[in-house]
Amino acid sequence: MSALCKAVCVSKRAAELARIPCRSLLGFTKHYSSGETGETPGNEEGTPPAEKRLGGFAAAFELHSDLQQKHDIAAATVGKTASSKKKQSFAYLLKHSPLVQMGTAKDKVAVGKIFHIVNDDLYIDFGGKFHCVCKRPAVDGEKYQRGSRVRLRLVDLELTSRFLGAKTDTTLLEADAVLLGLLESKPK
Amino acid sequence: MAVGLLKKALPRLGLAVPAWPGVRCMTSRLYGTAAAQTQIHQPDNSVGSDKILTEPLKHPDFFRLSELFSLKDLFDARVHLGHKIGCRHRLMEQYLFGCRLEQDILDLDQTMEHLQQALNFTAHVAYRRGIILFVSRNRQFTHLIESMARDCGEYAHCRYWQGGLLTNANVQYGKGVRLPDLIVFLSTLNNVFQQHVAVRDAAKMNIPTVGIVDSNCNPSLLTYPVPGNDDSGPAVELYCKLFRMTINRAKDKRRQMEILYGLKSQND
Repeated sequence: MSALCKAVCVSKRAAELARIPCRSLLGFTKHYSSGETGETPGNEEGTPPAEKRLGGFAAAFELHSDLQQKHDIAAATVGKTASSKKKQSFAYLLKHSPLVQMGTAKDKVAVGKIFHIVNDDLYIDFGGKFHCVCKRPAVDGEKYQRGSRVRLRLVDLELTSRFLGAKTDTTLLEADAVLLGLLESKPK
Repeated sequence: MAVGLLKKALPRLGLAVPAWPGVRCMTSRLYGTAAAQTQIHQPDNSVGSDKILTEPLKHPDFFRLSELFSLKDLFDARVHLGHKIGCRHRLMEQYLFGCRLEQDILDLDQTMEHLQQALNFTAHVAYRRGIILFVSRNRQFTHLIESMARDCGEYAHCRYWQGGLLTNANVQYGKGVRLPDLIVFLSTLNNVFQQHVAVRDAAKMNIPTVGIVDSNCNPSLLTYPVPGNDDSGPAVELYCKLFRMTINRAKDKRRQMEILYGLKSQND
């Protein structure tokens, strides 16, 4: 699920990565025709002709899902998974996690996945500790089903408040987010 | 006290002796029982049976549970995420890595150690044919926990907890009822954010407890607290998977050891 968050945060870095010639594991296939050929022999696509350029966010999302797949395949074949995981300490993992890289949650756009629906309430998990609950929008209401990916603007990761006379905060065990719409670039 | 009486009345219950250092006989610690020490009778006193029970205690990780999980698995399951700083329990501060933008982050290095110990203890209890009870009052995961308990052949109680379930078991369930030998809490809070009654009652009845404690929970009464997230789906699914695999492993190991030492297994 944290892969969903990564799509947002690496949107800047994705542009940098696209220009760097790939060294070991990553082969770019469909969307980037900047003349880079993957060094791994398993890259069957070759250098494709220039295709339709996707918009910024969608391109970053596509890139990241490709990167993730390539990395997983390469890591599995090369067999370096165990050693690469051991080297990363908790502090390293935390520092480079999308949650920390994102910063404050307010007004950040994230991709979430609907995991439960109760009539008009959509329970959406976006990779944080809690899920958020949003009302089904009037536009394209039927398209919001279990498993749909949606775009959210986060407001708060956990709704808590200290009431008068209480020792600890009262928590609603929910996050707060505004539903922006479906993830258009993903073909269903 | 009731547990001591149960053991005296039915010594062949074969209640598990937990692998606590230096504790051989539980009745000596019960308030109100006389100084008479009840011997824990094994089903038969042959050398093979003794070997089955003592052999696992010689290894620090007899069931090789450290290969079941890694730091990365815990991290990907969002186990390190805690509540907001305002919800923090003072006794959980020792398990926190820090606080990031008002959200507490649990230290996964400590969690790894605690989880290893908790799973090891659970495995030993399951190996010795102890009864394990899973308790959680988080309604989101009730079905998941109940099906996990059924899959590993143990018990779950994720519904309303009646007051005297453990402390008044003789009256509520009749005489001679066997209480659980281990209670595993997948969330130690009930629906009004107070500590679950079973934590206190298990301590009263000398039943060891394993519990996942979030940053707003009180870890003091638990025998094996495991600091971790108890609210996210992936985290609870991971715990369920780990407990299920641990218990199945331990039970399989028991069957292997019995075959190895040539004893016929007794059905409970």
